[in-house]
Amino acid sequence: MRLDDPRIKGIIRDRSLFMCQECGKCSASCPRMLSGKEYSPRLLSHKLITEPENESFIENSVWECLTCGLCEERCPSGVQVRQFIMEMRTLLAGTKGLKGYRSHDGALHSWMRLMTSPDLEQNRLDWLGPELQVAQSGPLAFFTGCAPYFDIFFSGIDVNTLSIVRDSIRLLNFLDIVPVILNGERCCGHDLLWTGDRENFETLCRLNYQEFQAAGVKEVVVSCPECYQVLNQFMPEVIPGMDLKVTLLLDLLRREVHKGGMRFKPLKRRATYQDPCRLGRSEGSCEMPRALMQMIPELALKEMKNSGRSAVCCGNNGFINCDAFSKRIQVERLQEAKATRADLLITACPKCMIHLTCAMRDPVRQGSLSMEIRDLVCVLADQIERSGEDRSIGSRRK
Amino acid sequence: MAGINLLGILCNWSPFACFNAAGMAHLKMPPNCVFMRVMCIGRINQALILRAFEYGADGVILLECKDEDCRYGPGPEVGHSNVERVRKLLHLLGIGQKRLVERSFAAHEKSELVGALWEFSEQIQAMGSNPAKPRQEGESR
Repeated sequence: MRLDDPRIKGIIRDRSLFMCQECGKCSASCPRMLSGKEYSPRLLSHKLITEPENESFIENSVWECLTCGLCEERCPSGVQVRQFIMEMRTLLAGTKGLKGYRSHDGALHSWMRLMTSPDLEQNRLDWLGPELQVAQSGPLAFFTGCAPYFDIFFSGIDVNTLSIVRDSIRLLNFLDIVPVILNGERCCGHDLLWTGDRENFETLCRLNYQEFQAAGVKEVVVSCPECYQVLNQFMPEVIPGMDLKVTLLLDLLRREVHKGGMRFKPLKRRATYQDPCRLGRSEGSCEMPRALMQMIPELALKEMKNSGRSAVCCGNNGFINCDAFSKRIQVERLQEAKATRADLLITACPKCMIHLTCAMRDPVRQGSLSMEIRDLVCVLADQIERSGEDRSIGSRRK
Repeated sequence: MAGINLLGILCNWSPFACFNAAGMAHLKMPPNCVFMRVMCIGRINQALILRAFEYGADGVILLECKDEDCRYGPGPEVGHSNVERVRKLLHLLGIGQKRLVERSFAAHEKSELVGALWEFSEQIQAMGSNPAKPRQEGESR
């Protein structure tokens, strides 16, 4: 493929790259550029329009982006950088093969692609304990995502992403909802989509939709913001006429809490909050998680220097391009968290948890960056109780 | 034997010496096994084993040195921990943990190595082909 391909012209036009005024706000805010990487969103759009023959520069830049969306947030001209990067990656992957350094040698992408096999019979529910009430079929399902896989793969850094899933189901049970948990559920395909493998992403979407339909599911509750973005925004593109309501667990919880009849036990901690890019900037949900945290008595929420829509990425996305520059972004982010003098870092995305935990374990830093990191769902599940009676949520398995 | 693809990953030192000696002695090997020689089994990470299954292997056997014989130090230990984790992932995926086998050999154990290969081949033969065959290959277009 040549870069004067009409499809590229189409992407440039559709994603408003011609609107670029070269003000450079994108590059000045890009965490990857600020960490010292030779990557500039401004230069990428400039070269793409004026020097399309500079193929190697353009290709390398397309694979460098973290797709965190901070540039898009700052852009005064409304250039859709994330969508542009995704479409360019899909196009380049289809013609020149997938590029970009795959973290962990692409093991995660391997298992995601393995899940595109239709005949697969997974054993992904071994973690379900008797304390969790789940159903085989029904109108409402909970989407567990890749948590069982992450916990095995990342056992070296000791993350517990399954705790998010368990606590999500505890919360749903507390709200008198018995969710359907599907053994045939696949990865949502987020990482394949954002690394240009659209074909396998679409296969995963179709397989997941078949599973939902077979179980009679009408609504899917999701706790991971990446899964939410994919199911809510990109799955309807693949499945026309998709008849499925997608709800973020935190949204559901907030609605239920507003109905009354429940409250939160006090938590005497000083905490700070890492906004996941797929929840904050992509979905615009910066206030909602904070509102939930503020309902917990005695929890002092201290904001980091960059928070809300300006929050800095956890350093990595879609498990590509993890390098020394990613580490630098993570270290600076953790230093911001430390500067709040908080002893608890709350996040809402399992990927933020994995990446920041990995950076905390950096032997060079000798533990100076380590702090407790927990998912918002876990924090809320531990504190919620019914008001008026002394009955808290079902016990957690020891 | 048709339709079953096996991958044997050999450490360059003891297992390859066995493999070489077995070849010199004209010992019969399973016909459907592809071999790959690496300097040390500690070089094989989780991703490379998973990749073999992604590309259509029905079984993977890691042939490594005895723990105390490693020329580099921690090779076999790294191998054990990778195999343990990948087996758990294979179980989750429903591919089956028995499709990944790990065996260690001293440099003179050529007949043991050939025996282990036949045993592995028969075991995978009995299990049939790997249920996970991704329809499209994402990376080699």
